[in-house]
Amino acid sequence: MNDTRRMLAEMADPLFAELGPGATMERDWPRIEELGLPQLLVSEADGGFGGSWEDALVVFRLAGFHALALPLPEAIIASRAEEGSDTHFLLGAFARSAQIAGALDAALGIAVAYVNERQQFGRPLGKFQAVQQSLASFACEAAAANCAAMGAAQALDRGEARFEVAAAKLRANRAVGIGTNVAHQVHGAIGFTREYGLHELTRRLWQWRSDFGGDAHWSKVLGEAVIARGADAFWPDLTARTDPEQRD
Amino acid sequence: MQTFATEAIEWPDTAVQLREQVRALVAEHGEGDPVRRANCWTKADPAFSRKLGEAGLLGMTWPKDYGGHERDQLERYVVIEELLAAGAPVGAHWIADRQSGPLLLRLGNEELKRRWVPAIARGEAFACIGLSEPGSGSDLASVRTSARRDADEWVINGQKVWTTGAHVSHFMIALIRSEAGSERQAGLSQFVIPMDAPGVSVKPIIDLTGAHEFNEVFFEDVRLPASALLGEEGQGWRQATAELSLERSGPERYLSSMVLFLKLVRHAEAHPDPAVRDLVGRLAAEAWTLRLMSASVAAKLARGEDPALEATIVKDLGNSYEQAIPELVQAAVEMDLAGEEALARVTAYLLQVSPSFSLRGGTREILKGIIARGLGLR
Ligand SMILES: Cc1cc2nc3c(=O)[nH]c(=O)nc-3n(C[C@H](O)[C@H](O)[C@H](O)COP(=O)(O)OP(=O)(O)OC[C@H]3O[C@@H](n4cnc5c(N)ncnc54)[C@H](O)[C@@H]3O)c2cc1C
Repeated sequence: MNDTRRMLAEMADPLFAELGPGATMERDWPRIEELGLPQLLVSEADGGFGGSWEDALVVFRLAGFHALALPLPEAIIASRAEEGSDTHFLLGAFARSAQIAGALDAALGIAVAYVNERQQFGRPLGKFQAVQQSLASFACEAAAANCAAMGAAQALDRGEARFEVAAAKLRANRAVGIGTNVAHQVHGAIGFTREYGLHELTRRLWQWRSDFGGDAHWSKVLGEAVIARGADAFWPDLTARTDPEQRD
Repeated sequence: MQTFATEAIEWPDTAVQLREQVRALVAEHGEGDPVRRANCWTKADPAFSRKLGEAGLLGMTWPKDYGGHERDQLERYVVIEELLAAGAPVGAHWIADRQSGPLLLRLGNEELKRRWVPAIARGEAFACIGLSEPGSGSDLASVRTSARRDADEWVINGQKVWTTGAHVSHFMIALIRSEAGSERQAGLSQFVIPMDAPGVSVKPIIDLTGAHEFNEVFFEDVRLPASALLGEEGQGWRQATAELSLERSGPERYLSSMVLFLKLVRHAEAHPDPAVRDLVGRLAAEAWTLRLMSASVAAKLARGEDPALEATIVKDLGNSYEQAIPELVQAAVEMDLAGEEALARVTAYLLQVSPSFSLRGGTREILKGIIARGLGLR
């Protein structure tokens, strides 16, 4: 993480943690505006922060991590694309992928802490291999969602990123299934209560899975694109998306 | 909690040129049977390995003094992912180039390095890994093959099993109990054993497809000079486990079924079907993600970090992906598995070999155990 992004994270993290799922527009939005976060992607010339999509990833991910109940990702993408446009839909899918990545990491952390504390059969649940293996699968999914969101952010900073955003949203959506299943399973009944906060993350995760295109939408988009280019182009296209331009 | 630190990967400026070089080389060698292109890193073709050696594509990151080419780790990564994506027959040199060479350079004495490293870089010396034994699989610390000192020689007795490529290899790096009566991780050492040393015998094990890729290797009073000890006596466990990040996170952990994915795309080009189209989309998303994950571990290794947890995550996800492909393709496309069509032949082949993907190099359960420990469980 570079310095700008570290600074951004240090600014957003405590605020989002404080506001979290209980935030309201009337009371809390001014504090978000005070930090200039909605103008994250607006150029400095126009009074914004002049940030990149990788910067936005940091903010979106933390918004997801803390289940922030404010439409900050929406406000940030609204500065770049008109609602209803294709681009807006694509950017929305990116924002949700990043929020999913953050929320999965948060749910994983809660689950790990819980199984290390809760005792049954005379030991912490985390000592049981079946529990360990489930959480390991969850960790793999959270890792995949995070890497995918990062890859999409980088692609957006390079330019055209339809393939990457489609792939990242699909990958994140898949991680939601495994992640929320395991998170609830290892919590037992307590995770099913209103009082225990896990649902602030998991209910958002289920919502975000459908927002800005679910699996059916993005697998169709991606599948069509890959098939139209043909089998021989798949690998060369994939590598060309990340390779530096060749210098002559 | 963030288990996988994600960062931008700086792909090398030479990437495009290296890819073109590899693609031309593979095309010139002839693409061959699609079945041989599946799981291609177990397909040995010494002639192809020598060609890569001549082209400067083996031992790429090693010192020139030992026949290497002093290129950076990500340049090597570009080359190996190209070879695997093309289904090139890289099995003969794979292990030597991936881990035996680096291990020798890191820990070997001058005699061992001079003898083996330049030959690996030329594509002329191949290696095998001697870890598993009949009584030691996942529980590797229970190995019993022994090395006994006799004056200034070592005498090896015992047996290794499941040794991939032992029959085409020139040497083995083996984990052996060098202290009589020692237990578990203590008292183990690594030895470099020439496969033509008197007392070494190799017996084929035929796998369920009928192929001969792995073997039993027996040691009967095999006498080795003192210089055959790799690294430090008694440090074998630490040395052997330190290689695992190299072994676990490479692109071979998710690309073994890539040829089948490409056959599926080819099929979809001619036979439009929404179910197949959606499957192509999902599998493409996964391939794209896994490539980023694997390359990001390579970038960390290149910076001298040891991303052991990330490497384990890549292997577990990658193996599950390459293992799932044949089953998903079979479910999505009606085919005669015993027929001659390429899609069916590759599916049939991969259905049979894919169970090994989550066994070789550490089983799924063992990997998940490592990840759980990384999460702070256990
Ligand atoms: C194609 C192929 C190539 C190979 N090549 C090589 C090679 O070149 N060199 C080499 O040394 N070895 C090689 N191996 C061996 C491989 O490393 C072992 O198969 C692997 O480590 C597992 O050991 P095992 O087969 O004895 O199974 P076991 O260890 O007996 O395990 C059987 C099952 O039990 C599970 N299990 C074991 N312990 C536990 C536990 N504590 N908790 C939960 N589950 C557990 C395992 O995950 C597995 O599912 C190869 C294997 C294959 C399939």
